[in-house]
Amino acid sequence: MSSSTELTEKKVFLLKSLDGVIFEVEESVAVQLEVIRELIEGDCARPFISLYNVTSEILALVIEYCKHHAETCSGGTSATIADEDLKTFDNEFMNVDENILLELCSAADYLDIKSLFELTCRTLASLIKDRTIIEVRKMFNVENDFSVVEEKAVRKEFAWAFK
Amino acid sequence: MGAGFSSLATEKKTVTHPSNPNISDLPESCIASILSCLEPSEICKLARLNKTFHQASLADVVWASKVPENHEILVKKLFSEEGSSESLSKKEIFSRLCRPIPFSGDTKEVWLENSSRGICVAISWKGLKITGIDDRRYWTHISTDESRFHTIAYLQQMWWLEVEGNLEFEFPAGNYSLFFRLQLGRASKRRGSRRIINNLEQVHGWNKPVQFQLASSNGEHVASKCYLNEAAGKWMHYHVGDFVVENSYIPTKLNFSMAQIDCTHTKAGLCLDSVFIFPIETVNKLKQF
Repeated sequence: MSSSTELTEKKVFLLKSLDGVIFEVEESVAVQLEVIRELIEGDCARPFISLYNVTSEILALVIEYCKHHAETCSGGTSATIADEDLKTFDNEFMNVDENILLELCSAADYLDIKSLFELTCRTLASLIKDRTIIEVRKMFNVENDFSVVEEKAVRKEFAWAFK
Repeated sequence: MGAGFSSLATEKKTVTHPSNPNISDLPESCIASILSCLEPSEICKLARLNKTFHQASLADVVWASKVPENHEILVKKLFSEEGSSESLSKKEIFSRLCRPIPFSGDTKEVWLENSSRGICVAISWKGLKITGIDDRRYWTHISTDESRFHTIAYLQQMWWLEVEGNLEFEFPAGNYSLFFRLQLGRASKRRGSRRIINNLEQVHGWNKPVQFQLASSNGEHVASKCYLNEAAGKWMHYHVGDFVVENSYIPTKLNFSMAQIDCTHTKAGLCLDSVFIFPIETVNKLKQF
């Protein structure tokens, strides 16, 4: 960032994670969290905003994501270069283990960050795709809670898709 | 999306960081969004994962991108007899459209191609206008499992071969191809034998090309010529032409025909099954029929 912006003081907000860690973020990052937009715009965000559903580990990642997106979009580069840059960033950003991915998805839903939510959903979908039910259950610790009768009924319900 | 936040500075120390999060612990809306990124067959498979996934798989948001954009028109047109069409979920609409639905007095069928959002239509020869079709000297009508309509028309012998058809249908926007499904020669079983052989003895008069035509209300008009004798003895889809639908909400009108009206020779030995219309991206699956 150039030093000529020194004079215009940037608005910052404090976000507090579930485990009590406080993050300082600029307005351009904070506004991407739709869930707190009203608080920010109504100037009700003091002294800090508590985000009870997000751990510090995940909140740090979310902030990194929003920061990169805010910087790329305001960086003055052409739209296509910015698009390419974001795509590369998103791909690398999604290179995390399944547990983090699930938490990011849940956090993006809770914080109402549409682009991150869609990105995590797409990534999770591509992980599940082409795997058997047994593999998916194993991968994500899912228990089969159907009774034999229920399982049969569901199989029948969707039989049309496999003809 | 998004629920429960606070700007209060109260402490909440109950940190639970599950080391093994379970995908079905995600809110149902998240699971539905994940499912909506997948192909229909994958969604149906994952509905069997557990109860949460099953419930999520029923959500309209999952199927909104799978049903044709003009599904409301199609539902009204195709499910009208049942009266309850307005209350159908998007999943129910999708699953019903995937099964062939007869219309026009069972001479036509329409279905949704599972992997695309395009509509397929089949029109039996009974839904076409065929010169001399009721005169048994020219055409015979044969019951057979070789046709999805369980019947074909067999050309005995004729000077004037002319088959015409038309269709007015609300195709979802996309590119489509139209085909005639024909076979030169007739499959028959030899007496005392289980083997099916193709009887080509009666086949003659196909050394001159057949003319195909297709015109659509969207402005396309194509004519092509084709020698049928190059693929005698097997069912073939003869490509007539393509058309583009831009507006899913107005009916596309199609006129199509097949003709060989050169009266210097008679034509014989042609099996006529039906006309097919497929979304272009699914055409490579044709061998299934």
